[in-house]
Order: sequence, then structure tokens, then C-alpha cells
Amino acid sequence: MDPSFVANADAVLARARTGDAAALEALFRAFEGPVYNLARRICRTTEDAEDVVQETFFEVCRSIRNYRGDGSIWGWIRSITASKALMRLRRNKYRDTDELDDQVTPMRREDTALRMDLEAALERLGETSRAVVWLHDVEGYTHEEIAGMMGKTVSFSKSQLARAHARLRRWLGEEVPA
Amino acid sequence: MTHLTMDQLVALRDGGSEPGTAAARQHLESCAQCAAELDRLHQRIARLRALPNLRPSRDLWPQIDAERRRVRRGRQARWMGIGGLALAASLAGVAAIGPGVDRADPALAEHPVEGELAAVRERSQALETMLDAYNPDARVIDGQTARVAQALEDRIADVDQELQVTELQREAPDQDQVLLDLWRERVGLLDALVDVHVTRASNVGL
Repeated sequence: MDPSFVANADAVLARARTGDAAALEALFRAFEGPVYNLARRICRTTEDAEDVVQETFFEVCRSIRNYRGDGSIWGWIRSITASKALMRLRRNKYRDTDELDDQVTPMRREDTALRMDLEAALERLGETSRAVVWLHDVEGYTHEEIAGMMGKTVSFSKSQLARAHARLRRWLGEEVPA
Repeated sequence: MTHLTMDQLVALRDGGSEPGTAAARQHLESCAQCAAELDRLHQRIARLRALPNLRPSRDLWPQIDAERRRVRRGRQARWMGIGGLALAASLAGVAAIGPGVDRADPALAEHPVEGELAAVRERSQALETMLDAYNPDARVIDGQTARVAQALEDRIADVDQELQVTELQREAPDQDQVLLDLWRERVGLLDALVDVHVTRASNVGL
């Protein structure tokens, strides 16, 4: 986070609540990086991620008056971002490409022991699995919170996470012969 | 020997308390392969967290700011419509409102401030209409012009807030004069904004 924002966070937030354009821009500059990163990790394309950033900050500008400061500002902005990104996934109904691969060539990866780097493997995961992995393992959301945001059950979130890790392990060539 | 599944490993990593977790933990103590698998899970998550932060390839703020201003301008226009109706209602019994407010009207002569209010508000609406017709949000402007326009719009927003509060306090003494001063300031700012957008555009042939 931008150190100059951290030093003046209270003053910037107070001004942002009044609709002060410079303060709203300071808020954007402080959080555009993490917001984009989260959006891009969940969405398939940079265009979708950029749309999520815009939707997130429209919402921030509109609702900043209602932010009461009972949680961290990043926690508040992050929950808006995650919600917008998941909404976009639902809207776009991306096809889970890793599932498709499994159906078409079920033995290919077991045979060839593909070795991908983590970035590529993460990108290859289906949308839902990747979102769950990122929200749970990196952002630190609980399965209950993820289930709530996705409109699914806690067991759905847990099974998506386990399935995603099984695939990552395989694609990264981490499997150990029994 | 049956090794732990990924579901069990993930649950263990979460410190889960589901049925079977205690047995899985016990298994882990005696199975080097599953212990190594859990260790790899921890390492994978650590590597996920260490992935570089992705950054947008372009500055997204101008679009966000333009949309924010468009929405705010819409709100202001709506409020000005409501404020205008309230003002019109308050003036209904006093003066004829419309183009060419008759300053010689005896009713207005008794309430000169209200006559001025009607005139200045009319001018404000005319300037708003001119700006809407020009649609500055759809125009490309240089950075300096954008900063000046932004400062003017911000001040107009401040004046609008003060106007809203003052409208609600009109029963209080001297509020009409305060209201008139605010409307005058609003017109002055709008004049400057029109000048920044429309006049400048005409001068450079846009």
C-alpha cells in the first residue's frame, strides 16, 4: 500500500467521504494495485479484471460515506472487489477449462507428467477453482465466507479447494510415486 | 497402507475439526509420505502468496472519475429540478417567474431578494443546459483544462450542498440573502465552467 496513504489515511478517508475528488483519487492510487491483482487472479482476461477495477471503484466512490471504519479500509475494498469479480464470473459463465481437458484427454497429464510453473498452472485451473484457491489460500477468506460470496455451500468451497490442489500438484510435477 | 486424500490434507492444513481429522493427524505421524505431501501443500501455498502482484497496463482512474462526475452531475441536475420546484412554489404567490422577470412588478418590489433569486436561478439553468448540450464528459481535453474544470465542478458540488442545507432553513431570518449569495456563486462558477469547456472549444475549433 502507498506509504503516503498510510500516513494520512484518516484525513484522506474523511475528505473522500465528502466526495473530494483528490481524496478519492488518492484512495484509488493506494489500492488500484491490490484490487487489480485480486480481480486478475479471479477473472480470465485482463479486460474483465480492468472492468472489475472500474466497477469496484465506482462502488467505493458511491458508498464511501457508508464506510464506518469498523474494519480495515482494504478489507472493505477487497470484499467489494471479490464480490464484483465473482459476479463477473457468474455473468460470463466461463467454461472450466481444466475440467474440459480432463474429459477430452483423461490420461494425458498422468502419462507425460507435465511440469508447469505455478503461474501457468494457476491460470489453467477452472474459474471457480482458481477463485476459491486465491480467496482461501492467498487472501485468507474462510470457506464460510467464500461460500457466502459465491452463493454455494461450505462443502462446495472445500471440495473445490482440494480438487484445485490435486490438479496443481499434478501439473507442477510434485506427485511422488507411491 | 491407505494414504491421506487431498481433502484430508487440506482439512489438516486448515486445522479442521471434521470427523476423521484426529485419525488423519495420527496417520500423519506415522506416514512419511503423507507428511511430505502436507509439507508440499504448505510450500505450494507459500509460493502462491509469493507470486508477483499483477498491475493494470493502463491508468483506469480517468474513466472512473468521468463516470463518477457523470453520475454526480445527474444527481445535481435532479436535485436542482427539485430545488427549483420548491423555489417556484415559494415564489408562486409573490411573482411571475420566467424569462424577463418583471422587476417593476409591485409584488417583487416588496420582495426584491426573491426576484433576484428567480433571475439568478434561471441563469443557472440556462448554463446547465448549455453544458449538457456540450457534453464535456464525451470530449477530450488537456490536463490543465481538466484540472481547472475539476476544481470548478468540485466547488459547484460544495455550493450545491450548502444550497440544500440553506433551502431547508429558509424560515430562519436572513436565509434568503444567504440563498441568493450561494446561487450567485453557483452561476459564477458555472459561467467559468462554460467558459473552460464551451468557449475554449469554440476558440480552438473543436
